[in-house]
Amino acid sequence: MGLRARRAIGASVAICLATLAAPSVRAQTTLSPDDARTIEYGKEVFKTKATCQFCHKWDASGDQGYGGNALSLRKTELTPAQMAEVIKCGRPGTGMPYHDRFAYTDKRCYDMTRADLGNDMPPAGNEFLQPREIDAVVKYLFAKAVGRGPSTYAECVDFWGTDTRECEPMKDAK
Amino acid sequence: MRRVSLVAILGSCLAATALTPARAGDMTFERALNADREPQNWLLHHGDYAGHRFSQLTEINTDTVKNLKLVFSVALGGFESGGRYKFGNLEGTPIVEDGVIYVTDGWGSVYAIDATSGRKGVIKWKMDPGTDRAWAGDVACCGVNNRGIALWKDRVISVALDGRLFAINKATGELIWERKVANPAIGETITMAPLVVRDLAIVGAAGGEFGIRGYIDATDLNTGQQAWRTFTIPGNGEPGNDTWKDGKERWRHGGGSVWETATYDAETDTIYQGIGNAGPDWDAQYRPGDNKWAASVLALNPNDGKIKWGFQYTPNDPYDFDEISEHPLIEAKVNGENRKLVVHAARNGFFYALDRINGSFVVGRQYVDQLNWTPGLDPKTGRPLNYDPAGDVQVYAQGSHGMRGSAPSRTCPSHFGGKNWEPTAYNPQLGLLYIPSIEGCNSLETVEQKDFVDQGGTIKPRERFSGGGQKTNVRLYGSLKAVDPATGEIKASLRLDYPNYSGALATAGNLVFLGHADGEFTAYDAKTLKPVWSFNVGTGINAPAVSFAINGKQYIAVLAGSRQSPFVTGLAPELKNTSTASMLFVFAQ
Repeated sequence: MGLRARRAIGASVAICLATLAAPSVRAQTTLSPDDARTIEYGKEVFKTKATCQFCHKWDASGDQGYGGNALSLRKTELTPAQMAEVIKCGRPGTGMPYHDRFAYTDKRCYDMTRADLGNDMPPAGNEFLQPREIDAVVKYLFAKAVGRGPSTYAECVDFWGTDTRECEPMKDAK
Repeated sequence: MRRVSLVAILGSCLAATALTPARAGDMTFERALNADREPQNWLLHHGDYAGHRFSQLTEINTDTVKNLKLVFSVALGGFESGGRYKFGNLEGTPIVEDGVIYVTDGWGSVYAIDATSGRKGVIKWKMDPGTDRAWAGDVACCGVNNRGIALWKDRVISVALDGRLFAINKATGELIWERKVANPAIGETITMAPLVVRDLAIVGAAGGEFGIRGYIDATDLNTGQQAWRTFTIPGNGEPGNDTWKDGKERWRHGGGSVWETATYDAETDTIYQGIGNAGPDWDAQYRPGDNKWAASVLALNPNDGKIKWGFQYTPNDPYDFDEISEHPLIEAKVNGENRKLVVHAARNGFFYALDRINGSFVVGRQYVDQLNWTPGLDPKTGRPLNYDPAGDVQVYAQGSHGMRGSAPSRTCPSHFGGKNWEPTAYNPQLGLLYIPSIEGCNSLETVEQKDFVDQGGTIKPRERFSGGGQKTNVRLYGSLKAVDPATGEIKASLRLDYPNYSGALATAGNLVFLGHADGEFTAYDAKTLKPVWSFNVGTGINAPAVSFAINGKQYIAVLAGSRQSPFVTGLAPELKNTSTASMLFVFAQ
């Protein structure tokens, strides 16, 4: 087998492995226009409307500081349904806010009300979100963050665009 | 050809004349030193160099304030998103000269508003510096902020979050030059209004949560070049460097940011600059030692930046008790002796009075309702009573801050303060200092801070560097307190529904003006703190008011519109649906 052929096989194995490890990569290449739109919309909610990135960082790798100790969503083991529930209901006893306007007014969240939670009541998010928006954020995160390793320059440019110096340090780091 | 040239020259002369109003006098050092001689103007960030935020105008007073009403408002911009933020905030103090009001929005646009008619504000120019919003906004800890401009000669001096300082033609808004002072590439931003002393513009870098090494920096306004830079965290061989005992040169990213305007004493030619928290904020075990000059005040020579003395409020601070806020200069009789004081309502919950000549401790007293981190201050040194001189990592009161591997703390006052950046005001006629503050407790959870890259670690510049996180699940409230600066005694006290982030204005009409998170803009009786007038602007206020006069008539102006802290609105359901705005409101009788 020639060198070129071996390289080609190696590359295709690597692609298969990558595909297995990160199904989102495959999904990205076969997105329907609707899915693509939903993911882009989810990004906008993550970035600006609900400013999830304030605490979780733009690449969803988690952060510390004034937003509290926010977990990495790249490393999360939550299923999409569980993630949607956490966005909707927050995480009692932590700083993760709830985004369903009516959370804890009835028993829709973890079968608990505000009175049940007392000081463990999570804070309200900066903005409340509709189910459609929560669904979009979850789809965005599973397409672009969950299960991925450290973020890359390309991902940074994908998030912030090319009209800013924001991603230059990542380019320089290469 | 010759005729055309003459016409062109004539035309440009006429244009130049039209653009240079005869009334707009140059701003001089002499005028700045004597700002009290121009009560119709608000010439300096803190009203005067002494940081009093006191207007001598008396037309609006305790008797007449009931007639105060909105005269006009002006819509501003700055709503663009950028970095971690959805929009810019208004936290600025307006500067007013001859009926023209100069304000900034959070992204650093400067607005010159012609209010000479007394009945409306016309934006005569706006200078948008084109800030790289994602770049700067991603390394701003606490919002997109800009606290205002300074005047110098026929120019406006301003800053932008991305670290630039600008000289602008005051008459036209034309940008004359800019200088890159702070560098967002390493987590530095600028949010403070410049302090101009003679021909130097003095600013500092914010970024205490992003692993910067803080500094105070002077720009020579005649050349646009740096005149001096003094790091707030001493380097190798400098006095105080030995208070960083980690052995790994962690002073290189030790914090000590600078983000509010200093006061200035002409008599001794000294500026008094409050210095921010050490980095990382909450993992004090990362940085054993007292960590000078974080959480301190520095007295410096404004001509060369040399440090005359320093006083540290919270050594080895594990709370984020960032002491950048103003240090008013006050003359007072202490124990029968006339003293020249520099005072400070500290984020750590104590009021301090120091001798401003040598920095020695004079008086200290708790002004917040709840304080659990120390039983008090040593009456001789001003140090916390439970400070351990032999200890490298201060414990203070057990459980009052996070420790590696320990449960989250209960911290009182909360790490927000006490008084945060929002300025006090001082009425020299009544001898009272008005402290607007944040009351209540919250919780700090320490996480062992990873090393910076330059020490073999994984943390890179621009990454958050706080050694843990905070949690605020119990509602905070606020207060306004009138304190005798000679003793620290609270002479009057008022509980506020919301933590205060706006700052005070005191007037010779015996009033104190204060804005609130629910949009109330209120005047209080300066002796009793009883509310005597209030108007709701419909959006939260995070900026201090000023007073001035046009054609002999007194006005009060305040900026309104800011991202309210989610730790305020998230726990106050009645504020949850408040929208922001970007407005200047102007009141008169």
